[in-house]
Amino acid sequence: MVRWNPELRKGLWWLLRYGLAVVSVAIALGMALPLQAYGFRDVELPLFALAIVLTAWHAGIGPSVLAVALSVACFDFFFTEPYYSFTVSIRDLANFLLFVVWGVIAASFVVVRRRVEEDLRQARDALEVEAEQRRQREDEIRRLNRELAHRATELEASNKELESFAYSVSHDLRAPLRHLVGYSELLQKHASSLDDKSRRYIQMILESAKRMGNLIDDLLAFSRIGRAEPTKTRVSLEQLVNEVVAEIQQDTKGRDIAWKISPLPICYGDRSMLKLVVINLISNAVKFTRMRQQAEIEIGCVNGNDDEPEVFVRDNGAGFDMQYVNKLFGVFQRLHLAEEFEGTGIGLATVQRIIHRHGGKVRGEGVVDRGAIFYFSLPKPRDATQRTASAP
Amino acid sequence: MTTLGRILMVEDDPRDVELTLTALEDYNLANEVVVTRDGQEALDYLYCRGQFATRPQDNPAVMLLDLKLPKVDGMEVLQKVRSDERLKMIPVVVLTSSHEEKDMMRSYKLGVNAYVVKPVDFHEFVNAVKELGVFWAVINQPPPGSVRR
Repeated sequence: MVRWNPELRKGLWWLLRYGLAVVSVAIALGMALPLQAYGFRDVELPLFALAIVLTAWHAGIGPSVLAVALSVACFDFFFTEPYYSFTVSIRDLANFLLFVVWGVIAASFVVVRRRVEEDLRQARDALEVEAEQRRQREDEIRRLNRELAHRATELEASNKELESFAYSVSHDLRAPLRHLVGYSELLQKHASSLDDKSRRYIQMILESAKRMGNLIDDLLAFSRIGRAEPTKTRVSLEQLVNEVVAEIQQDTKGRDIAWKISPLPICYGDRSMLKLVVINLISNAVKFTRMRQQAEIEIGCVNGNDDEPEVFVRDNGAGFDMQYVNKLFGVFQRLHLAEEFEGTGIGLATVQRIIHRHGGKVRGEGVVDRGAIFYFSLPKPRDATQRTASAP
Repeated sequence: MTTLGRILMVEDDPRDVELTLTALEDYNLANEVVVTRDGQEALDYLYCRGQFATRPQDNPAVMLLDLKLPKVDGMEVLQKVRSDERLKMIPVVVLTSSHEEKDMMRSYKLGVNAYVVKPVDFHEFVNAVKELGVFWAVINQPPPGSVRR
């Protein structure tokens, strides 16, 4: 289609519409005059009516008014006595007025119909625009989905890589370590010819190798938590804590520990993983209160906000300096010397990893030589999945 | 100790072999151990092929199997043994460094009799190997058709 100047197009369109009014009335007149000449009477009214309706239908209200006016003029001029003049006799006035009214009503009906049609067309156009926008949005969603799928594949691949890495660490790194320990032990057996210094060196080799073994084991256990999918059920924390405390009390005979266990909530999570959390926190409390005459360990619950009660483990042990609080949950991060308190520094990292995998929060507070307190909270089942999805 | 079963050990690492044999020496079990260095050699022994073509046709009382082996790995050996009518009764103990649950699950699904993770600590390792040796070669009644001395 030729691209016209819009001004020109508008003018042409206007000309066409009014032209249609003139032409259709002219055709009606052109047909009515010969028919009348051949003696057909009263055909002019239907023909003019047809011309008016046609104009109203195709050209709208302005041209239809023009058509009515022209029809009336022609009717008056050619078909009412006195012929060929615009004067109207009193006799024909009623008839004449009736035609005018009829023409106006017909035109207005048609125009209203047209307007309704126009509205419908606009509504359809609006719908089409909306459908187009929706299609674009769908395309966008599909594109994002593809991207997401791509990311997921990448992530899966890197996860697999990590898994095989952990596997080879587990298998290959441990073997030389075992040999190191084994041969050192054998050497120690034949140590009668060695002096004290050499024996001490062998002892150091053995201790280091064992320590490395522990580190590898801890690291593997830690990476396993990251890979395993938690199987969530309702877990009674109180029962879990009592179980763990009973187990730990087996190893703390001879120590004076005042346990205080308050009622704890039922939460939603992987039981074995949560048990690991509780074991780590409580055994830490036991470990860091070792130098106290009477250790006090309290396990309880505060309702930080009603939805997520915060469970805490408090002790009166060595505590820590709050300025290092950001290092507390790091892998192999330790805030005490190995001579003071043993351990690889994986416990709190494990705790944090498990709680984060559940979509929960964990934090610690401490005062040097006064004790420490660790809080954790788990989300309720209904928003647990959401929170897990957005957790790093 | 009247009868001793023969122990087939499948282990590629010579140091592990030496340490295991040292551990078994204390119970005079070391002489009963046949060492094969990879899966292929182990299968050769079991089927009396190649260098083992002339050995008596009996099965070992127990097979100590490492999982990570050159050529044919431990899982494949286990699969072959379990699918062979003549060999499927041999007690198989997986003796590996792998803590992986995946390996453990697969081994048990393939019908392993025991799964032992080699402890890093030498004393534990010695104890584990000794107990394994004593249990399978002395205490346990091996299935009929196993070699006896």
